[in-house]
This record gives sequence, C-alpha cells and structure tokens, in this order.
Amino acid sequence: MATTTATITLSSTDLLSDELSLSTTATLTIAGASTGLTGTTGLARKKTGNTSEYTLFAAASYTDDKAHKVYLKNTSTTAAQYFIVEVAGTVVGRLYAGDWALIPWAADTTGTNCDIDITPSAADMTLEYMLFTDE
Amino acid sequence: MATTTAAVTLSSDLLSDSISVSASSTLMKAGTTADGLDQMEYGYLDLPTGDEYDLIATTPTASKASKLYLKNHSTDETYYIAVTQNAQAIGKLYGGDWMFIPADFHDAAGDIAITANGGTNKICYALFHEGTVLVTT
Repeated sequence: MATTTATITLSSTDLLSDELSLSTTATLTIAGASTGLTGTTGLARKKTGNTSEYTLFAAASYTDDKAHKVYLKNTSTTAAQYFIVEVAGTVVGRLYAGDWALIPWAADTTGTNCDIDITPSAADMTLEYMLFTDE
Repeated sequence: MATTTAAVTLSSDLLSDSISVSASSTLMKAGTTADGLDQMEYGYLDLPTGDEYDLIATTPTASKASKLYLKNHSTDETYYIAVTQNAQAIGKLYGGDWMFIPADFHDAAGDIAITANGGTNKICYALFHEGTVLVTT
C-alpha cells in the first residue's frame, strides 16, 4: 500500500502573547478506511495566458464522493497577484503570491459538478498543483 | 507586523520516483508584503451529528487573504466532517485529515459550514484574518 503524508506547521512568535507552534501530520487515506490514497497526478505547473477562468480539475473525471486532496500553490512573487479558487462556481478564496492550500475535494457530481476552477488576477501567472485521488 | 508562517510537506511513494514537496508562506494581508495577518481565532470542540453548523460565526472582511486551518481529530477512520461553502459541497475531512485553505467569506452565505458524520467528531480550527465584522446582538 502506498503511503502519502501531509504535514503542516503553523508558527508565529508575535501574533499572540504566547508563541504559536502547531504541527500535525495526516496520512492520506481513502474514504472510510485506513488504506492509502491510490492515485496522483504528480506535481505539475500551469501557466495562464490571460485572466480567463480555467478548469483545473473536472469532477466528472474522478470518482464521486471520495476523499481526494488538492494541493495548490501560487508561485508568483508579485504581492498583488492572486488566483481566485472556486468549487462548483462557489468562491473558496484568493490564493495570493506565495500562498499554498491543501483542500479536501469530494468531486461531487450529485447536483452541480464540483469542478475546481481557478481565475488568475493577471495574465502569465503560474500555478503549481497536485491531486491525490481516491479512486 | 505579526509574522505567521504556514509550511507544508507532502510525501508519497505512489510513483516510481518518490514525491517530496515542501512549501512555506508568510501569511500576509491581501496584496502586500509589508503587513502580516494580525488576527486569529482558534478552537477545539466537539461536533455532534444531526445538524450543519457555521464554523465561523462572524464574517472576516470579504475578498481578503484569510486562511482557515481545520483538522478532524477523530480517531475512527469512518467518521468524517462534510465541509460546505454557500451550501456547496467542497470535500470531506476523515478522521486525522486536515485542510488549509484561503477563505473568502464574501458574504454571509459564504460562511464555511461543517456537518459531522458517523458520530461526534472532534475538531481543531484556526482562522487567520485581518478584520472582523462583529454581529450585532
């Protein structure tokens, strides 16, 4: 069985009066079991040519209602540049320069297809991404 | 300026070549490198089954660079939290899973809601943001 782990560390010495130091590791498994996730796209990059909306992952291409995980990173170094991240047309948030995200994704197709879409704030931005799939 | 760092490491042996991806970002206010996110909410709570709950009761300033960390601390792998935004399914956090997402909270309907499945789930969350609109009593 393949083993995939995700570790996050959140730290700050001056946000609060007490130091913030949080670290946790998750072993990414299929829905409702201890078996590891079974697929991945591998790490990839997409360069956007304009400010149009792009479909990064189409829900119909993956198994519905599972424990997929999506990793995103905005590689821009220009602070004002961001990607709008949407799931099924609902804005999740803005990923500014240097920001990353790890999003659980059900790839739900019950009603609206829960595609993951990105919209860059400027042309010629680069998004780094990887999908771990629960097939 | 408050300096808060979020780092991630993803490791896997799914491919013939091992995956080892690391990233680190300083949590800044929207569109600047001069000022970090300087407010946070942090909690650990039980999430009973049966109802959907808004995770964040107040609304951080819309269209900003807020970040939300959420972990399901349940040890039963069949337990999960369904995460929705504006009634739209985003994903499921099974026991032990965590997520870290940019959070827009563009309006009251944009709140992130969570529903426990399988049994009472234990969750930990942290919201980093740059402003809160308090709800009048």
